Amino acid sequence: MASSTKKWQKPHVVFQPEVHRGMSRGIDQIVSAVRPTLGPLPRIVLYDRTIGGTGRIPELLDDGGTIARRIIQIPGRNADVGAMLVRQVLWTLREEVGDGTATAAVLFQAVYREGVHYLASGGSAMRLRTYLERALPGIIDDLSSMALRVEGKEQLAQLATAISLDPEMGKLLGEIFDIIGEYGRLEIRKGRTRSYEREYVEGMYWEGGLLSRAQITDQARQRTELQNAAVLMTDLDIEDPRELVPAITACVQQGIEDLAIIARKMSDMVVGMLVMNRERGKIKIHAVGIKTPGISTTDQRAALMDMAVLTGGRPLFRAAGDTLRDVKARDLGRARRIWADKSNFGIIGGKGDPRELRAHITHLRNLFSSISSGDERQELQERIGKLMGGSATLYVGGITETELDYNKEQATRAAEAMRGAMRDGVLPGGGAALLAARRTLLARPTTSDEPEEYAARQILAKALQAPTRVLLENAGYEAGEILGRLENAAPGTGFDVLKGELTNMEESGILDITTVVIAAVRSAVRSAAMALTTDVVVHRAQAPESLST
Amino acid sequence: MSENSPQPDLVYALACTARRDAQASSRSCFAARGSGLYRSDDGGQTWTHSYASLALGEALPTTSVVIASASAGAEQNPATDCEVFAGVPGGIMHSTDGGETWEAAILDTPPPAVSALAISPNFAEDGVVLAASTEDGIFRSATRGSRWARWNFGLLDLNVYCLAISPDFARDETLFAGVETGVFRSTNGGRAWREIDLSVGYEPVVSLALSPRYAQDGHIFVGTETQGLLFSADDGASWTRLGEDAITDPVNSVLVSPEYPDQPSILALSENALWFSQDGGGTWDQVKPVMEGMTAVLAPDGLSPGTRLLVGFIGGDVISLTLEL
Repeated sequence: MASSTKKWQKPHVVFQPEVHRGMSRGIDQIVSAVRPTLGPLPRIVLYDRTIGGTGRIPELLDDGGTIARRIIQIPGRNADVGAMLVRQVLWTLREEVGDGTATAAVLFQAVYREGVHYLASGGSAMRLRTYLERALPGIIDDLSSMALRVEGKEQLAQLATAISLDPEMGKLLGEIFDIIGEYGRLEIRKGRTRSYEREYVEGMYWEGGLLSRAQITDQARQRTELQNAAVLMTDLDIEDPRELVPAITACVQQGIEDLAIIARKMSDMVVGMLVMNRERGKIKIHAVGIKTPGISTTDQRAALMDMAVLTGGRPLFRAAGDTLRDVKARDLGRARRIWADKSNFGIIGGKGDPRELRAHITHLRNLFSSISSGDERQELQERIGKLMGGSATLYVGGITETELDYNKEQATRAAEAMRGAMRDGVLPGGGAALLAARRTLLARPTTSDEPEEYAARQILAKALQAPTRVLLENAGYEAGEILGRLENAAPGTGFDVLKGELTNMEESGILDITTVVIAAVRSAVRSAAMALTTDVVVHRAQAPESLST
Repeated sequence: MSENSPQPDLVYALACTARRDAQASSRSCFAARGSGLYRSDDGGQTWTHSYASLALGEALPTTSVVIASASAGAEQNPATDCEVFAGVPGGIMHSTDGGETWEAAILDTPPPAVSALAISPNFAEDGVVLAASTEDGIFRSATRGSRWARWNFGLLDLNVYCLAISPDFARDETLFAGVETGVFRSTNGGRAWREIDLSVGYEPVVSLALSPRYAQDGHIFVGTETQGLLFSADDGASWTRLGEDAITDPVNSVLVSPEYPDQPSILALSENALWFSQDGGGTWDQVKPVMEGMTAVLAPDGLSPGTRLLVGFIGGDVISLTLEL
C-alpha cells in the first residue's frame, strides 16, 4: 500500500510541443468518430457492448454527444487528455441544448488545429485566445440577427423532421408543439405498436394522488371526480378531523358540495371521517384528501403557489405559521372539475383571476430566461407548461426494444431542440448561417496591429467553413468546388445535399435551430481557445487503487 | 309554442341560410332565445318553435345558433344548407334537416353554458364546429357535431363570450375568441390558443368580426363592454378605437359588409342604438328608428342603406327593418 501511494505521488510532466501534438491526436480521434453524423445523410456509429461475453447487442448511435460519452478512454495519455476535453464539451452541449454536437466537434477541431499551426510559428497563445474570444460576440450577434421565427405545424414538422431524420416522428412533433407551445408539457413514452401515436390531456395535473384508496368513487376508472369544487391547499399534516371544521363550514355556507383537501399527510382518523361523511354523513360534503405534490419543501411550495393562482385560493404554509383553524371561505380555491387517482390529480377550469394567472406565467418565464441551471430551467418549464392548460404524450413506435429505445432517445432530443427553436428561432441550415457569419467576420475592420488578431480572424473564418465542408464530404460531394460556388452566392444560399443543388435554405425549409448553432459555436470556440493555452500536462504516474476502477 | 307570439324572453343570436341566389323572403332564419329556438321561413314575419318535434315539456333556453352555409366564406352547398347547430345549457343541438328534427350532443359535466358557436366555412369537407362557453372555454368537434372535446391549450381565460372564424379557415385554420380579459387567436383550427396583445382595460370582449378578406388584410373588429369598438388593421398587433364619440355603450354585435373592404360598411349594435359606418369606421350614423333593448342583429342581404336587418330584443321579439339613416 505504501509503495502504491508513493508511485501515485510521482507525477509525469509533459511539455510542448508534445502537449499540442498529443492533444491534437486525441481531439482528432474523437472528432473523427463524431463527424460522420453531421448532416442530413449521416452515417451510423456502432458501439460494441459485447465485452466480457455479456451477449448485449451493439448500440446504434448517430448523436455526437452520446458517441463522445461512450468513448471513455483512448490510447496514449496525452491524446486521452485532448479526447476527454472534447468529450466533456460535447456532452455538456448535448445536455444543455440537445443537439449541435457534431457541428461543435468540427468547429473545435478546426480552431484547435489552425491555432496549433499558428502557435508553432511563434505566436502567443494567450493573445490568440484573447482575440478568439473577442471575436465571438460579433459572430453570435450576427447569427442572432439572422434568426427567423418558426411557427405553424408545417414549419415545425419540417424542422422536427430535419432534427430527428424521421418524417413520421417529425410530423407528430410538429403538430404537438404547435398545440402545446414551447413550454408545453410533453411526455415521451415507448408505444406498443410500430407506428407513432399521440394523446392530449386537458387541464393541469400533478403527481400526488389520493391519500387513501378508500376515497375512490369511480371503481371502474379507479378515480374520484369533483365538480364545482372548493380546494384547500396546504403543506400541513392533518391529524385531527376537527381541524377541518372551519373549511367544511365555509363550504356549507357557500353551498359548495365538493371539497378537495390537498395536504402533505392525513391521519387514518381524518380519512375515515371523510369517507364516512360521504357515505352516511348529514353534511352534504364530498371531501377527498390529496397528497401535496413534490418531495422537497421548495417543490411543494411551488406547486401550491401555482395551484393557488390557478384556483384563486390562498395556500396555507407550515413555515408561515398558518393553521387550518384560520381557514376562511376566501382561502379556498375553486375549480370546475378536479380528478384524482392513486398517483396523480388534475384541476380543470380553475376559477382564479386570469390576469393573475398571466402575470404569474410571465414571472415564471422571466425567471426561466434569467437562469442557466439546467435543472432549475427544467422545473420552471414544467411549471409553465402545466399552467398553460394541458399536456401531450407521444408514444414512439418500433419493433424491437433497441429500436424503441433509439426512437425514444431521438424524440426526446428532437423535442428539446424544438423548444429552443420556438423560443429563439431558426437559421438558414446546412452551415449557410455560419458561412454568412464568416463573410461578416472577414469584412469587419481590425482593431489592432497585433498578428494574433489577424490570426484569430483567419482561424475562425476557416472554422466557420468547416461544418459545411464536412457535411458536403459526408454526403459524397467535392467540398472545395461547392464552397467556391457558395462564396459568391446570394445571402441565405446553401447547398441542398439531398437534391444536389444550391438553394435558398429558408425557402427550402432547411433550417438549424438558433440556440443550438450559437451554443455550438460558443462552446467550441471558447473551449478550443482555452485548450490552445494549455502548455503543460501533468499525468499521475498511476491512479490510486480506490480511483482506478 | 304558439306561432307569431314569442314569449317574453331574450334573443341571444340570429342566423339565416345564406343562399345568394334565393329570395330573401324564402330563406330560413333562426332566433336563439331564452324560450327556445325559433324558425322563420318568411323573412322574419312569422316564427315557429323549431324544437316542436322534440315535444319538450318545458322551454329549452337556446343561447346561440349557426348554420353551416351561413359561415363567412362558405361555399354554396345544398348538403350543408340544412345543417343547424344550437347551443343549449350543457349541450349542442344539431339538425341536418333545417331545424325539423334534432339530435343532442351532451358536453362534459358540469354542464357548460354555451355562449357562442362558430362553424367552419369548409364544413362540408372538414366537419369542424366550435362552441364557446362562459366557464369552460372552447369545445371543438371535427365530426360534424357528433363528438365534442375541450381544447383549451393556452387559453388562460375560460370565460369565452364570442368567436369569429376566418373566411379562409380551410387554409389558415384561424379563429378568434373574445374572453373576459382579452382576445385569443388559434391558428390550428381551435386546438391551441395564443393571446393577442390588447391593452389592459379594453376587455371584456363581447363581440368579434373579421374582414371577409381577413387572410389578405388582417382586419379585425372587436366589440368591448367598456371601450366601444376597436379595430386592428395589422392582425391584432395594434388597435384603434372607432367611433369613440358615438359608440360608448357595450358593443354586443359587430357586422362587416360581405363586400368589405370594397364597400367598407360596418354595423355595431349596442343595447339602445345601431351604429352604421360606410367608410370603414371613420364616421358613424345611428340607424333609424331609434329603439331600445336590442340584443342581436343580422344583415342577411348584405350591409348597405336600404337592405333588410333582423333585430332581436329583450323580451324575445324579432323585427325586420330596412337599414335607414
